[in-house]
Amino acid sequence: MVFGIVVVNVLLAQTSFRIGEAERRLEGLSEDNLELVREQATLSAPGRISAWASRHGMRLPDDIRILHAPGSGSGEPAGADPSTQATDAQGTRGPAAKGDPPT
Amino acid sequence: MSRPPAGRLVALFALMTFAFGAISVRLVVLQVSQAQELEDRAFDQRVRTIDLPAQRGQILDRNGARLALSTPADDVYADPQLIDDPWAAATSLSPLLGVGVPDLVHAMTSEGTFVYLARHLGRGASDRIQRLALPGIGLLPTSKRSYPAGPLASQVLGFVGTDGVGLTGLELGYQDVLAGTPGERTNELGLSGQAIVSGVDEERAPVAGASVVTTIDRELQFQAQAALEQAVEEQGARGGTVIVMDPRTAEVLAMASNPSFDPNAFENAPSATYRNRAVTDAYEPGSTNKVITAAAAIQERAIPLGSRLTVPWTMPVGDYIIHDSQAHAPMQMTLGDIVAESSNIGAVMVADRVGASTLATYLARFGLGRATGVGFPGESNGIILPLDQWNDTILATTAYGQGIAATPLQMVSVYSTIANDGRWVQPKLVRGTIGPDGSLDASEVAPARRVVSAGTARMVTRMLAYAVEDGTGTNAQIPGYQVAGKTGTARIPTGDGSGYLEGQYIASFIGFLPAGDPKVVVAAILDRPATVYGGLAAAPLFKRVALAAIARLDIAPADRVPLPPHALPIG
Repeated sequence: MVFGIVVVNVLLAQTSFRIGEAERRLEGLSEDNLELVREQATLSAPGRISAWASRHGMRLPDDIRILHAPGSGSGEPAGADPSTQATDAQGTRGPAAKGDPPT
Repeated sequence: MSRPPAGRLVALFALMTFAFGAISVRLVVLQVSQAQELEDRAFDQRVRTIDLPAQRGQILDRNGARLALSTPADDVYADPQLIDDPWAAATSLSPLLGVGVPDLVHAMTSEGTFVYLARHLGRGASDRIQRLALPGIGLLPTSKRSYPAGPLASQVLGFVGTDGVGLTGLELGYQDVLAGTPGERTNELGLSGQAIVSGVDEERAPVAGASVVTTIDRELQFQAQAALEQAVEEQGARGGTVIVMDPRTAEVLAMASNPSFDPNAFENAPSATYRNRAVTDAYEPGSTNKVITAAAAIQERAIPLGSRLTVPWTMPVGDYIIHDSQAHAPMQMTLGDIVAESSNIGAVMVADRVGASTLATYLARFGLGRATGVGFPGESNGIILPLDQWNDTILATTAYGQGIAATPLQMVSVYSTIANDGRWVQPKLVRGTIGPDGSLDASEVAPARRVVSAGTARMVTRMLAYAVEDGTGTNAQIPGYQVAGKTGTARIPTGDGSGYLEGQYIASFIGFLPAGDPKVVVAAILDRPATVYGGLAAAPLFKRVALAAIARLDIAPADRVPLPPHALPIG
């Protein structure tokens, strides 16, 4: 009986140590996870991606045009090509004289 | 003569009895009457309680992208009294802490028993310090706040101080939500500082702070910030502000101020850059305020839409002469023409028909003169004089947006009201919070109120579309989309109330698109740009940001709204 009690105590102590070790490991993995989350957020930040793209020679076009398929329910008449209005988009219809009056 | 031996024995016995008696009394005192007190003192010496910091909540964008988060870290401290060889300890620690050896030695030889050597050290470095097992050097668990996207939305997010408490922005405004509740751990320690296995071991776990979900769209915020930075640079402006808002929900999708700063190293930036100018700074809105004058006139039927006013280029009002920007012969103009061409004199004539009391009422209905309640710390009310202080000059200047002050957020809210069929909705920067269970606790439904009728809002929209199609805002045109908006070029008051700065202006353009079914409102404001005018300096910035919003939010064109009655020829 004494032997049995000793064995049970030893097993309990071993289990306790294992639980403690598992808790420490869980804590460590949680910290690693948080660090990875931070790294993922840093790497996916648009500023970083934009800077990387610039370093590799990519850049935004000077004049962005958005095209819509005819009959797509967009409100544009079928067959209309929005890019034909690019002249307006360049601001040529807005001479300096059209500026808002300083008051 | 010597004493008899028996007498000496008796004396010795008495002495011993007294001594044992004294010892017994002392034992009784120690073990009976003072037992509890002494036991408590011994316990206190063995037991150590340390605070367990709570994980600070994250700040997320509307799609869950992390804008601010905390990672585990350690503060490193020294007890100078326990350090035998400061130079050796400093030499070992210097590369791990990134602090010079002389500075560390200075700290380690200071008075007292506690001095910080480094704050918020990453776990990798602190683990190595722990392995060094230097006497007198200790670690305190804490956390380090990181802003993964650097300067992105920095004025909105704010930052925390070294003690982990929010100092500005949402970090300050939502401090109670983000902070959580610290816990504590109590251990019974042996002489060597090791925990006694069978001793006290109690822990109250910390409760992590909730995460705050903002209405900001990270990608659109970046585009808005980049466009603003480019415009400020091109225009040699002192700074600027951009706001992007969803008019239906009044959710702020992007809010940028320039100059900006990186909250990861806020101590290196001038404190003036910390301000979220979109919310905390009021400016005189200039001609963008004419939209309120026009809305009041339409709603109150102060002027028939097709009627023509004869508008001169100057007009005496009180002790002043008010004028349009350029000399012109008297012109026949409708209300639509006045808005589209941004005529100051025309706006004054319209305001005169509306009346001071009515105009003041509409300013208040549109939300000017009081904070929007967006929930951002330090929000400004703006400035509107009480009605009893109004005179003819105040009425006239208010009609075209001078002599009053509003924040950019208040002004974008005005245009959002027009875009939302005349209903004002309280602007929103936070969608809700995410607690420990991972579910979103949505913010309360934003208060809303009707300001003008849907018919009035639609007529104002037509006038704003006219302003972009053939008025002062042509530089805001976007191929394939009908834009409605208004330019503003406002003088800047001197700080001492003596008048206005000579030749210095705030240029702005506020508008929305598509005019027929508004999906997004954009305010573009530049402080003292080289080209001065809102139509030249701010409208192109509006266009850049609006294009980014179209692409990001997948906005489709809508049916065009017709132009309003006008007397001036188109084109």
